[in-house]
Amino acid sequence: MTTVAPVNTPDSRKPASLSAAPDAQVVEFPAGIPAFEMCRRFVVIASPELSPLSCLQSLDPPEASFLTVDPRLLDPQYDFTLREFERARLGAAVDEALVWLAIVTVAPEGGATANLRAPVVINARRMVGCQFIRDDHEYPVRFPLTRD
Amino acid sequence: MLVVTRKRDEAIVIGDGIEVRVLRHGHDGVRLGITAPPHVAVHRQEVYETIRAANASAAADRTRVPDLIARIKENLGSKEVGK
Repeated sequence: MTTVAPVNTPDSRKPASLSAAPDAQVVEFPAGIPAFEMCRRFVVIASPELSPLSCLQSLDPPEASFLTVDPRLLDPQYDFTLREFERARLGAAVDEALVWLAIVTVAPEGGATANLRAPVVINARRMVGCQFIRDDHEYPVRFPLTRD
Repeated sequence: MLVVTRKRDEAIVIGDGIEVRVLRHGHDGVRLGITAPPHVAVHRQEVYETIRAANASAAADRTRVPDLIARIKENLGSKEVGK
């Protein structure tokens, strides 16, 4: 498994993508994420075996680990616009390229859903991340990833 | 719990820079205006609890991941995934 870091893309209209890097780069989540407020440091792990998913792994106890997916794969019309106070929390400029990850839930029956309502957004330039709840959209918390 | 009575257009101040103001009230509910610094997240409780619960269940079992990835790829079909 390769450890990767998110990188900026020159096209600010599109979300940044993930690419391989030699060292694990730690992303700070100053507020943790809901239910895991104590998890402040994460790394993003991607590998061919995991594709199209990647893994958001906490370095802080209880070392929570999340599967994530690029929201673009699920909804080509997904709105990647952040509100001003959200950008401020990431220290992101208006045209900053950001990494967006939808958290995946594996159902007991084996299917899976992705949370498009509360994406994790990472500013790779500052290595800071946050999970935003998109009160301004009706995106589903459980978007089906598999056909059941 | 602190209980205060507020009329329309009256507010309470919480800590440094958080203000909750009653904009309107009626039979169907109370409309509140909240002003808070950028680092303070403000959410409807039921929405926040939904996301908390989703995160908690998402962090669970990963033993079926290889099978799951196969099914997701199948579902996404011919779309270029992982790019």
